[in-house]
Amino acid sequence: MKLVRYHNSPLYNPSVSHTTLRDEMDRLFDVAFPALSTLQRDGFFDNWQGEFPVDLYQEKDAFVVRAELPGFRKEDLSVEVADGILTVTGHQKTEVTADKEKKSTQERKVSRSISLPEHLQADKITANYEAGILTVKLPKSEEVKPKQIAIEVK
Amino acid sequence: MNLLTKKETPVAANRVVTPRYDVHETAEAYVVTASVPGVDKSSFETTVDGDTLTIVGRRAATPADWTPVYREIPQADFKLVLEVDRRFNREAIKAELSQGVLTLTLPKAEAVKPRKIEILG
Repeated sequence: MKLVRYHNSPLYNPSVSHTTLRDEMDRLFDVAFPALSTLQRDGFFDNWQGEFPVDLYQEKDAFVVRAELPGFRKEDLSVEVADGILTVTGHQKTEVTADKEKKSTQERKVSRSISLPEHLQADKITANYEAGILTVKLPKSEEVKPKQIAIEVK
Repeated sequence: MNLLTKKETPVAANRVVTPRYDVHETAEAYVVTASVPGVDKSSFETTVDGDTLTIVGRRAATPADWTPVYREIPQADFKLVLEVDRRFNREAIKAELSQGVLTLTLPKAEAVKPRKIEILG
């Protein structure tokens, strides 16, 4: 048998708990169906909550964010980092000419903000757009990279 | 259900999803546009077999030294199967890929192009 630690549930004690009902449902599902949350983590479901899906990866020296943004022009995408939050925005205006007289503008705007891990070199962030995927590389700062420390023996 | 017990099976290998797509018609052709981000130009297969048009796009894998922390992008290839009739010219299908959007142009057969008929007399 598996023991599960008692957890204050907002269903029973809404005034004390800081978690939302959604968090509670997520926790319940994680406990009851652990395999399901693995599938979810591996992107088995279309489970993104924003306007486009993103992935976060870790490399030895950097974090990598990938965002699926098909059909944009490079100049219509913007990447901003402020206060530990990465914001990716795509804003596109296309002129549609149905025939010679009728002209209209189609506008599409999507945006997503992701809170970033700490200890990044904000000035060394690079972004690249290829095959409809925006890849943002966020180098880790020196202090979090594994370092060897010599121990002096007296 | 078997799905839940097979924890170690890589989900990526054979899964396919239908891409978001549109079909519209111009005077000259039927145009199919499909969103297929992350697929390289060389990893597409477009086949017309009888009444079926099939487009398969394989996603490029992420570098092996990237450890996933959080994932939303489905680890699946794209497959779009459309039922078509014979009203377009099969020999002249054109495909174009630009920033993750595939545009397929199926030129109309001469027989279905709009024709203006002169009224005589």
